[in-house]
Amino acid sequence: MMSVNEKFSAIRKGLLEFLLLQIIAAEKVYVADILKQLSATEFATQEGTLYPLLSKMRREGLLDYEWKESEAGPPRKYYELTAKGREQLRETLEYWGKINGTVKNLGQK
Amino acid sequence: MNKVITINLDGNAYQLEEGGYDALRAYLETAAARLQGNPDRDEILSDIERAIAEKFHALLASHKTVVVTKEAAAVLAEMGPIEADPGEAAAPGARGASGDGAAGEERAARSGGTPRRLYRIHEGAMIAGVCNGIAAYVNVDPTLVRLAFVVLTMLWGTGLLVYVMMAIVVPEARSPEEKAAASGDPSTAQEFIRRAKEGYYEAMKGFPDRKARREWKRRFKRDMRANADQWRQNWHCYWAEHAPFHPGMGYALPLLSLLHGGAKVLWICALISLLATGAVFGLGLPANVPVWVAALVLFIAYGIVACPLKVARHACYRGLGRPRWAWPVVFLLDAVVWLAVVAALLWLAVHYFPELREAVRSFPSLAHQAADDIRVWWNGK
Repeated sequence: MMSVNEKFSAIRKGLLEFLLLQIIAAEKVYVADILKQLSATEFATQEGTLYPLLSKMRREGLLDYEWKESEAGPPRKYYELTAKGREQLRETLEYWGKINGTVKNLGQK
Repeated sequence: MNKVITINLDGNAYQLEEGGYDALRAYLETAAARLQGNPDRDEILSDIERAIAEKFHALLASHKTVVVTKEAAAVLAEMGPIEADPGEAAAPGARGASGDGAAGEERAARSGGTPRRLYRIHEGAMIAGVCNGIAAYVNVDPTLVRLAFVVLTMLWGTGLLVYVMMAIVVPEARSPEEKAAASGDPSTAQEFIRRAKEGYYEAMKGFPDRKARREWKRRFKRDMRANADQWRQNWHCYWAEHAPFHPGMGYALPLLSLLHGGAKVLWICALISLLATGAVFGLGLPANVPVWVAALVLFIAYGIVACPLKVARHACYRGLGRPRWAWPVVFLLDAVVWLAVVAALLWLAVHYFPELREAVRSFPSLAHQAADDIRVWWNGK
């Protein structure tokens, strides 16, 4: 029988994009910041997953980045949300609220 | 003991143990293969390279310059496998699957290859192949190098001197390997250009405000200067190690010192004559060239003459080899001869050329005048 953790692996992956929108909405971050914030959660992930996802989101116009120099090596990309990204985040949050409500309320008498 | 390989990650050089290099190469090849068809492939790969570079950077310090195999493996494990299709569930643990690695191969090739060396090249040479060799080394047209030598020769024969020195010191490319190395793979000059093209302009586009851009520019320049210093250092070492000096030649040091001292005295006399009379040994300046520009040109010309002499002296010191006790003796002899030559020449110059004596006396006021010249020119701009 599959563990809950395994069952949810596909769902977690799908939610990652939503979480990235939320993290990046709060402040300008670079990949190591994002990894750190996620590391303590069920959504802990790695650069190998994050970079392709961020590139895809940028291509879709959800976020953009700017270069900042770093004392500890090469310059870094700091990500921020575009207007479209914020709109997407708002919609997703709304939808997430509905799903949450459904999960809570369904089957209750 | 392990073999170390130098690689280029996003424009910076890192040294890896061979095992670590193999692992990194396999990782990047797999990444490139998995991202086949992804419109952001190149960008993701350069993001990945930059992230790895940052992790390597954090591992290294001034006393630790090599990333060992275990560390490289840990960094790659931390990076995690590249997931080609984000948003979709990827098969868990799918790793090391390598499709056609051709694209990755090409990227990896950029960081490997034989180091380029300076040789004289006889094919298509005019005289001894020095210019041809330099042209191949820095990857420019030989005609440009020849022109530079002609121009340098017009500056008090410097070009000729350098040419003769190089014709003697620089080895000729004879074997096919040497010929390949003469115009072969990565040189620092090429790396300069590659980095300038890729990193610099791409990054420039990404800066939103002028302050960040300026800051990055400053940093870039500093890095480039460090690179150039490294290059010069390598160049000196290369000459010093490969020059055909054998033990005992160290005793030619005083002669070299004599030449060096002579050059220095000549330079000082020229400078004084320039400041005193507005002409270098009777050679008048073109009308619109201010004195301080001419002084700068003199200084650069002196640097060009003195550099090969310095290198030759380095080589001599190396040529001394053992016994080590000879070093201080030769060094002392060298210093004494050098000082004596400078003192004697200066004394002679000042005593036999009244205008020089005059110049030495009036030097302070001339210096003031030069400073005023610069101020006027600066304000006028």
